[in-house]
Amino acid sequence: MKRDSLPAFACSLLEFVLPGPYREAILGDLIEEYTLRSESTSRFAASRWFWSQACRSVPSMVWSSLRSRDCLISISTAMGVYIVMKILEHGAELAISKWVAPQPTTYVLLAPVVFLTSSAIGGCVAARIRRGATKFLALMVMITVAVLIDLKVCTIPVPWWYQFGFLTLGPLAVIITPTLFGRLKQQRALA
Amino acid sequence: MKRGELLGSLEQIILLALMRLDGNAHGMIVRREIEKRTGRNISIGAVYATLERLETKGYVSSFTGEPTPERGGRAKRIFRVEAAGKRALQISEQTIRSMTAGLKDGWGTT
Repeated sequence: MKRDSLPAFACSLLEFVLPGPYREAILGDLIEEYTLRSESTSRFAASRWFWSQACRSVPSMVWSSLRSRDCLISISTAMGVYIVMKILEHGAELAISKWVAPQPTTYVLLAPVVFLTSSAIGGCVAARIRRGATKFLALMVMITVAVLIDLKVCTIPVPWWYQFGFLTLGPLAVIITPTLFGRLKQQRALA
Repeated sequence: MKRGELLGSLEQIILLALMRLDGNAHGMIVRREIEKRTGRNISIGAVYATLERLETKGYVSSFTGEPTPERGGRAKRIFRVEAAGKRALQISEQTIRSMTAGLKDGWGTT
């Protein structure tokens, strides 16, 4: 059975959500059982079973992780990184509004760059300290942006997609950048 | 096992399943055994969450097996029942037995 016939999205979801110690074992068990089921029944039935297992497994594993100390350490790391990230971001925004771009239009253009850069750096730092901390950091970024949008903090009129970009690209930058850097590092090591 | 600390129902079922599987097995085998014997279709996540709890309590131990291609290159986590786990099961069984003693005749009347 080729791995590409597996429900790829369910696999990625589990890979992201499941806590570290048992991630490999659970995914391996599911892949093995999926292979057996798709040979004995149909690929559709096996996929349906895989999805039901994935959806039902996430809450119990996340709850179990929340009860353990491991999760608290990851949350604390994410909080620490988030505070440093916001201080740096605030400093950069102050510098931009004072010296680089005092006009609101230029500020609107530069703010996403600062935000995405700080999110990407934050994600890399969090992943370096603790791998599990990136998902909590991404969640924190998402919640903060959602709250800021809801409170209508931005006084400059901007289109909806501008704010939506902050809401989606910020958490994505936190998650994707360390993965990309990890792959680059692996490729360099192999070369 | 501390005095008064009883095993939860899923903990008990998973420990019993591990005992039936010669004392050591990985999560999916345990899940299959439970489904076969009780008809309960529990999630693999619930099995691992319970096994993790049992490991913290010292009732089971685990080790990582070799990664295989059938598992997408991922390693198995094999669990084994420890002496403390067997003792905990015995205590649970004794507790249930002493609590149900004399009740069985009255169960069908309500």
